[in-house]
Amino acid sequence: MKTTIEKNFQVDEPIDKVWEYLSDPAKIVTCVPGASLTDTIDEDNYKGEVSLKFGPVKAKYNGQITFQERDKDNYKMQLLGKGLDSKGKGSADMLMNGVLVEKGGQTDVTCTMEVTITGMLAQFGSRLINDVSGSVFDQFVKNFRAKLAGEEVDNTLSAGSMIKGMFGKK
Amino acid sequence: MGHSLKRKEDARFIQGKGHYVDDIQLPGMLHMDIVRSPYAYAKIKSINAEEALKIPGVIAVVTGKDLEKYNLHWMPTLMSDTQMVLPTDTVMYQAQEVAAVIATDRYAARDGKEAVMVEYEPMKPVIDPYKSLDPDAPVLRTDKEGKKDNHIWHWEVGDKEATEKLFNEAEVVVKEQMHIPRIHVSSIETCGCVADYDKINNHLTMYMTTQAPHAIRTVIALVAGHVGLTEEKVRVVSPDIGGGFGGKVPVYPGYVIAIAVSFLVGKPVKWVEDRSENLQADSFARDYHITAEMAGTKDGKILGTRFKILADHGYTDAAANPSKFPTGMFSIGTGSYDYQTTFMEADAVYTNKPPGGVAYRCSFRVTEAVHAIERITDRFALEIGKDPAQLRMENFIKKEDFPWKSPTGWEYDSGDYHAGLKKAMEVVGYDELRKEQAEKRKRGELMGIGISTFTEIVGAGPSKDFDILGIKMFDSAEIRVHPTGKAIARFGTKSQGQGHETTYAQIIAEELGIPAEHIQVEEGDTDTAPYGLGTYASRSTPTAGAAAAVAARKLRDKARKIAAYLLEVSEDDLEWEPGKFFVKGAPEKSKTIQEIVFAAYTNHPQGMEAGFEATHYYDPPNLTFPSGAYICVVDVDKDTGEIKVRRFVAIDDCGNIINPMIVQGQVHGGLTQGIAPAMYEELVYDEDGNILNGTFMDYLVPTAVESPSWETGHTVTPSPHHPIGAKGVGESPTVGAPPAIANAIVDALAPYGITHLDIPITPYKVWKALREKGAN
Repeated sequence: MKTTIEKNFQVDEPIDKVWEYLSDPAKIVTCVPGASLTDTIDEDNYKGEVSLKFGPVKAKYNGQITFQERDKDNYKMQLLGKGLDSKGKGSADMLMNGVLVEKGGQTDVTCTMEVTITGMLAQFGSRLINDVSGSVFDQFVKNFRAKLAGEEVDNTLSAGSMIKGMFGKK
Repeated sequence: MGHSLKRKEDARFIQGKGHYVDDIQLPGMLHMDIVRSPYAYAKIKSINAEEALKIPGVIAVVTGKDLEKYNLHWMPTLMSDTQMVLPTDTVMYQAQEVAAVIATDRYAARDGKEAVMVEYEPMKPVIDPYKSLDPDAPVLRTDKEGKKDNHIWHWEVGDKEATEKLFNEAEVVVKEQMHIPRIHVSSIETCGCVADYDKINNHLTMYMTTQAPHAIRTVIALVAGHVGLTEEKVRVVSPDIGGGFGGKVPVYPGYVIAIAVSFLVGKPVKWVEDRSENLQADSFARDYHITAEMAGTKDGKILGTRFKILADHGYTDAAANPSKFPTGMFSIGTGSYDYQTTFMEADAVYTNKPPGGVAYRCSFRVTEAVHAIERITDRFALEIGKDPAQLRMENFIKKEDFPWKSPTGWEYDSGDYHAGLKKAMEVVGYDELRKEQAEKRKRGELMGIGISTFTEIVGAGPSKDFDILGIKMFDSAEIRVHPTGKAIARFGTKSQGQGHETTYAQIIAEELGIPAEHIQVEEGDTDTAPYGLGTYASRSTPTAGAAAAVAARKLRDKARKIAAYLLEVSEDDLEWEPGKFFVKGAPEKSKTIQEIVFAAYTNHPQGMEAGFEATHYYDPPNLTFPSGAYICVVDVDKDTGEIKVRRFVAIDDCGNIINPMIVQGQVHGGLTQGIAPAMYEELVYDEDGNILNGTFMDYLVPTAVESPSWETGHTVTPSPHHPIGAKGVGESPTVGAPPAIANAIVDALAPYGITHLDIPITPYKVWKALREKGAN
């Protein structure tokens, strides 16, 4: 079950600051809803956990995050996350591409996320996965902006937003 | 016969007093739940039961390695393939059984299942059946020694050369690629069992949801005989069943695990699937990719057909066909038309999908065959611009040409196809509808009329050709009439809602004159019922129904002897009318069947065997060939693709009718299961082998809301070889409805050059097709 989401958003911060946050696992991971870093293997490889909640179904993935590309000159990065459900109920992979472009002091962020889900969650079908992934992504953007603005970020899972996502009320 | 007697079984069903597998409670009974694979193809690295065993009530977690010690980790399929009971190292499809949790109650078993930790190493699965035959595709069945590809078998019938020549030279050739989607029977009751092994007496009682209890007993004895469960030590009981439709013919791993656990711990073990497990793991139906071709003349004479099939069987060939028929009765696909040139071939392949290929309310692939022939016939009519009803009328086998030999070797017993279609056209008002359609087309509105005039092949089957695992496909009836003239009759079949308790009683009543309400019908207990191959493929009336009639006639012969003795006349002087024998010319001198039966126990002629019992094992001389003429009218919204079935007329010919109300009920249910794959149902898998609609939230089973108002009727062409001239009807509507609906929708879209759409034809598919043609 594969789904691709592309989002474009602007942040009112200089490009280098945005890059610093986006390319730093410790900063970016805390913006992903339900995610946390558990171990650093080397500067490109990290271990972490992601929890997801689809209505009544909860899944927790343990996995590895790898920076496949961190090109500061072109402000381009590629991140691969591979996770296995902690209860052996499936797996989730995510390939994220991020590109930053400066626009009159602001920074334009384009992210594509390719999410591949196997197992029980995949059985919900694209109808739910798209909506839930979209809702997770929206929450990520919100958290990322907050982080850049120096605000406290709460990236615990909000069941409410997931369920809203499930029914397409964004 | 011919009376709409109210169903005797309904008194308990409508009061919630049916007795199903899950109603069974035995002292000390344990409960089982099954851990299933999230992956379509993966190595099992480890199974950790530590946390599960800490849950109060969980007493054991059983894996393939445990079963391997007793050589019970695999089992044969009905098609002589092999299937894992529990895997020892590799899982082959999503939702495959991985381990079983045994607990003292169902909740603990479910909690235990959640707590079992399984570590997998996922592998890239083979999902697309066409890619399964690629040279670089991974070989899936590495358990089969020497297996170098994913090909299972090749089958063919007909004259290949003559067909090629015909197609090369024919004036008109039409061709369409069709997929008959993978669907599921989705019976209201899921599968389950209670395995009850008695260690002291070395005896297993297996209560289970099976359509074929006797065959299952034999299979259990063959598989588990080596651990002491020989056939006399096994009793299979099939209680009330909430729908089978072919899905309760196979043996599923859950049954075997329950037996193994009960055998090892000496306690009863209950296993009942939940809805999603049933939908995701139990046998699918259909999944044939068919290239269908028809050759004919410009003026509309059908000359020949050619069908090439790719059959996706999933991980193993767990279909439930008669042994000699890997494609079931697909060879009925030459249809109701008079021509003699055909060639059909099929190749079956393994993929990483659940195993199966069951005959969902269908005599083994007849649904696929009928869809292919009826769709391609319409395609031919469209090509030459001839009305599809007219084309059919001109090509039908004529009534006087029966029995008719088909080019694939069948002998159609009887039929009157012209009468059926004529009646359907009259009921629906065909000519007016065509006029209305022409006017609507001028206005740019989309309306379609679809016809399906199918020939069915049911009642498997004659022992010279038909067996399952070597057991011939006869069926049986045993009638015992008690001294007071009331009877009990037992059968080798097993009703799953078909109304056997009523129809069998009616057949015996007709033959013996005992009122149907005084005849108790029993099936499903192998300790009491005579051996038979069970109920599926519309075979009960053609086989066990016939056995009932023949057994009753044996009793009538005995009754004649007793009556002659009682009336002190010669047997030849007696005449029978239902319920009594009387002396020719002196009707006041008579003995009722009740008086005769009483005498059989109290005053029987010296030298005659006492009692009043008869058994018959009926081996049908031929199959029966029911037919039907269905017409469907649809309106399609050009902008949204929405399809409305406005009318659906179904004229069935199932020979002599035993109970018209039961037949009508069967037809209503069957038509609804026909509209299902035509417009709603398909099991969808992604490229990783995830099922994308594994719950009823996404797998659309039509309800009363989606069902049109069915208009049913019949013509009667008795079977010449069946003792009461009946043919069987259970599957006709499921088989005949999908092409009628598909033909109607394609007919509606024909002005835009659309010649075919694969079922299920959804509004999205219609909208997309119209959009591609620039219509909206």
